[in-house]
Amino acid sequence: MKKRFFAIPSLIAAGFMPIESAAMPLATTGDGGKTKSLFDIFKLDHKYTLAGHTSHSSHSSHSSHRSSSGGTYYPPPADSAPAYQAPAPAYQPPIAAPAPAPLATLPGNANRFKEIVFQVQFAMLAFGYYNGELDGTMSPEMRAGLLRMQSDYNLKVTGTITPETLTALGIVAN
Amino acid sequence: MIPLRLKIETDAVDPYVVRLRSCEGMPEPLANVSSLDAALATADGEKALFTGAAGSLHLFGIDPSEVDGDVVFVVPWRKTAHRLIRANSRHNTLLITERCDQLCVMCSQPPKKQHVDMFPFFETAVLLAPENSTIGLSGGEPTLFKSELFEFLRKTMKQRRDIDFHILTNAQHFERDDRAKLRDLDLSRILWGVPVYSSDSTIHDHIVGKPGAFDQVRSNLSLLCEAGAKIELRTVLMKPNAPGLLDLARFVTAALPFIDTWAIMQLENIGYGRKNWHSLFFDNSLGFDLVSKALDFSISRGIDTKLYNFPLCTVPADYRAFAPSTISDWKRAYVEDCVDCSLRNECGGFFEWHPKVHGYGRFGVA
Repeated sequence: MKKRFFAIPSLIAAGFMPIESAAMPLATTGDGGKTKSLFDIFKLDHKYTLAGHTSHSSHSSHSSHRSSSGGTYYPPPADSAPAYQAPAPAYQPPIAAPAPAPLATLPGNANRFKEIVFQVQFAMLAFGYYNGELDGTMSPEMRAGLLRMQSDYNLKVTGTITPETLTALGIVAN
Repeated sequence: MIPLRLKIETDAVDPYVVRLRSCEGMPEPLANVSSLDAALATADGEKALFTGAAGSLHLFGIDPSEVDGDVVFVVPWRKTAHRLIRANSRHNTLLITERCDQLCVMCSQPPKKQHVDMFPFFETAVLLAPENSTIGLSGGEPTLFKSELFEFLRKTMKQRRDIDFHILTNAQHFERDDRAKLRDLDLSRILWGVPVYSSDSTIHDHIVGKPGAFDQVRSNLSLLCEAGAKIELRTVLMKPNAPGLLDLARFVTAALPFIDTWAIMQLENIGYGRKNWHSLFFDNSLGFDLVSKALDFSISRGIDTKLYNFPLCTVPADYRAFAPSTISDWKRAYVEDCVDCSLRNECGGFFEWHPKVHGYGRFGVA
């Protein structure tokens, strides 16, 4: 309790109090101690403060301008015909438990996919189903090549890099 | 520019939120697909078909590999899907409302009267977001729908403890009673971006187009501090407030020492910013001493001060460390002169809509 008693005045002394709160009462205001005191609030921040505002803060190191979000979700038609007032969307029922798994974005994911696409492009080039750039990105040419190749090999024709497509091309994904 | 709206067709009638999964190149078919996922079934050069609990969704004009993991808001009657959360972006922002009680002279997204409540959809979207995302909430003024906003934060932050929020607000609408609600939230995961343009209330009120706004934001910043909120102060640098920047620095260090970051920001050429460009744009490449004095002062007083949206070549070399690349990926562009620049990778460049005659007196390859 002693620590708590002295911590608040020292916060004030250190200039941590907001401008209009100079006369902040030290005693808790009779709510049975349920309200967090200033000490409690700022105590949580210690780890952050000691880290020198750099290690934790993903905000400041990758801060975004974030001024406009790219427009409204119900925009009036671009050709400025009389604005169509969209009906309010039907309420979407709350998510039934269990909540969906968050998407794990491992740092190497994008590179791994690019690597696979590169291998697929190389194999398709070798088999004569692709003659575009070897750049590791999917394109209409790649999709068309996959459709032909899957059809010729009696695979399920999807135009996508399916597991059986990888097997047919002799590529091991892991 | 990265498209935020996609052309789609769907047999659904009502709008819905869904996460697109292409999952190509995996050794096995996708396991544990949730009812809120739509998985890629087929693709050709023109369109891709995603199927899920909500029915089938045809996507046009973009390769499905580019939208893997994206959370989209599908509006069937408009044949449009909005990419609410892009899986490989750090710049995802949800537009809470288009209403605003201020009318800033440089507003990049001028307010509108109509409001559509998107909170139920946003809740779903946040639950589907990639791990450890930071999600921006903007407007309009999000706190015009304060109780819905608090409820949204309470729910989503409880279910997704890995997610942070960055909320842009003019801080005009907090009241003392809100402190309890604020304290119920994990405030270490919310950064409140609050604009203050001048320490002179007349100038600030003029810029935001609302008498009394300065006094209100000043008192509510205190309130946010008391609640233990992390605050990013945001000052767009313009002709009307540039001469007072040092005074503002003094004000910030004396009256607002509790803030996390002070962001001094270059003007965006869109909305009213475009309309009023000539009376507002401040060329920091020629008048940097105004900026550097304020920067020196606030940094020497321990305020983490940053320059947002400043092309690096317009900032003297000694100050470039304070100018991180801040322009969101989907609206970032470079001009022709930037081709050979050695700093291009560290530089945020320009807003896509910045005029070709960029207005900087001193500009060029660094």
